[in-house]
Amino acid sequence: MAGITLQSVTKAYGSQSVLNDVNLDIADGEFLTLVGPSGCGKSTTLRIIAGLEKQSTGDVFIDGNIVNETRPSQRDLAMVFQSYALYPHLTVHQNLLTPLKLRDLSALERVPLFGHLMPERRKKMSAISSEVQKVAEILKIEPLLDRKPGQLSGGQRQRVALGRAMVRNPAAFLMDEPLSNLDASLRVHMRAELSELHRELKATFIYVTHDQAEALTMSDRIAVMMDGDLLQLGPPDEVYENPNDIRVAEFIGSPKMNILPATCDEKGVISCLGQKIKVALKNIKNQSVSIGIRPEHLILQSPSKASFTGKLTYKENLGSDVFLHLDIGLTDQKVVIRTEPQESNSSKIGETVSFGANQNKYLVFNENGKRIDTAREGKV
Amino acid sequence: MQNSKVHYWFVAPALILMFILLILPVLVAATLSMTDYSLGNSSFNWIGIENYEKLFSRKSYAKMFSASLTYVLIVVPISVALGLGSALLISSLKFGNELYKAIFFLPVMATLLAMAIVWEFALNPIMGVVNDILRSGCDKKFIYGLLSGAWYGADPLQSWFGSSCEDRFPIWLGDKKYALGTIAFIGIWQGFGFNMVLYLAGLTSVPRELYQAAHMDGADSAWERFKLVTWPMLGPTHVFVITISSIRSFQVFDTVEALTEGGPSKSTYVMVYAMFEKGVRQNLLGMGSAITIVFLAFVLILTLIQVYFVNRRVHY
Repeated sequence: MAGITLQSVTKAYGSQSVLNDVNLDIADGEFLTLVGPSGCGKSTTLRIIAGLEKQSTGDVFIDGNIVNETRPSQRDLAMVFQSYALYPHLTVHQNLLTPLKLRDLSALERVPLFGHLMPERRKKMSAISSEVQKVAEILKIEPLLDRKPGQLSGGQRQRVALGRAMVRNPAAFLMDEPLSNLDASLRVHMRAELSELHRELKATFIYVTHDQAEALTMSDRIAVMMDGDLLQLGPPDEVYENPNDIRVAEFIGSPKMNILPATCDEKGVISCLGQKIKVALKNIKNQSVSIGIRPEHLILQSPSKASFTGKLTYKENLGSDVFLHLDIGLTDQKVVIRTEPQESNSSKIGETVSFGANQNKYLVFNENGKRIDTAREGKV
Repeated sequence: MQNSKVHYWFVAPALILMFILLILPVLVAATLSMTDYSLGNSSFNWIGIENYEKLFSRKSYAKMFSASLTYVLIVVPISVALGLGSALLISSLKFGNELYKAIFFLPVMATLLAMAIVWEFALNPIMGVVNDILRSGCDKKFIYGLLSGAWYGADPLQSWFGSSCEDRFPIWLGDKKYALGTIAFIGIWQGFGFNMVLYLAGLTSVPRELYQAAHMDGADSAWERFKLVTWPMLGPTHVFVITISSIRSFQVFDTVEALTEGGPSKSTYVMVYAMFEKGVRQNLLGMGSAITIVFLAFVLILTLIQVYFVNRRVHY
């Protein structure tokens, strides 16, 4: 068990910068998710922690010890790969044995045939085998032990890959999009299993994904990365409620947060789509801003009370919720509202719909996409 | 539709061509191998399996089998190992690998007959560059000491190099002790570049994540990773490379024809050369056909072994 710290880590391939000054402090036993669109540097960060790639500058600490020059195998970490990376010529049992054999047996004891003559080998092998047995029981893969990876389904391979990581009882698990090759229902199921496994093992998990739903459902904390920058680090609720950057706001949450252009006059009053919005800003005057509001904070209202209107272009029915997509006269921007199914029964496609917003839930971003402190909430 | 015979018309061209071009010649050879037919004769006698009896009882044919098998057993392992080794080295290069690939592949592309003539000059015992170089080592103390084993106290005259310095260096192609080895050396030189290219292709298909997994699992040395990932993942390539090399080695002909003509004292009398000599030079078509059929059987066995391995063992 160990905490992991990244200090001003950067990575560049030639002149192409991939990571800009990433600082990250991962507590012992924490489930931290690195999330971001592809190419944001999240996998590179994970591979730097693993030691598979070397950072250009900065330091990596594991359990307080600097590990910049330490080999991957000496860092006491285990990794689960997106493609599982099981050895296809070995059975599941042999796959699980491999990391333990490489760690516990000496080079002489690993020599085929001759190795069996070494005095310590038998004792070590029986210890290793019982270790493998234990992990196979936890993951319920005992019936698969004699098969080869090619004979397993995606979900079974996933478990074996997890097992190969678990047998060594590592200080931390590194997972590089481990669920992205599974079908949708199995993915949801494995999310729950992974969370459970994390609770049982009490080990540090560092999980890389591009799926914001996985990040929100499993993590203790989320680190949102974009273009090589670590934009925000915090618990899922906080990242969802209080994104500090417009890119975070748009990336986290599905459907996406509605972002509307607005202006702020000399008195600091914001108007959006011709409507004044009651949000008090500190020291912000005379600039164009963006307003963000999540679909669930928009409400259908009678035309007399409503602030906005839009033409209904699409009803996205998910059973429990119905998302209404509205054309509000902006060319590149639709507004999405979440409604209860019975609420939106009467609305037909092509009709004009009136809606308002929960005034407390407006988020304001400046021209550079940074969050602007709103007076009412007092904090960001 | 049920009674329509039109489907036969669709497959007929392919079937007829296959029969005429591939199957018929083999059948003709098999028939001829039972006769004493010579080209130009108006008739022939059926002699049954007499040709085959000769083939498996006469001493000169025993030499033929032994020459072919020895050649294969020298060339295949060495050219496969060299091919794999050079492919591994080239694939680990950061730059310059295209150049090395081109250089090692040159002998494969070159006309072997032309190359054989160059080798004939190089290996000439009196004015050849090979023996010139070896002879020049005799006066250099350091090289003499190193090659004759004097550096670890052995008697230099007992060694191959030392005694050759005293006497003479071998007549590579004219001495039955050396001729087959020399032909095999040229075969290796010519063939391993092809194996290298096959292995390079095989190496690119090994997933990089497997190497990373091996790193994480504690395979710290390159040798461990080679054993754990590279070697097994190249399984299909091994089978293909070994089969192709074996068949190509069985087919060796041009170097023998150009350099030794099967001699000295039949030490390089390989099968395809024997076919040529019997069937074409001596116009004993029946005997030539019998050798051809045996040769085909060898190749067929090799191919069946390959099919077995491909199906059973090396695909995961």
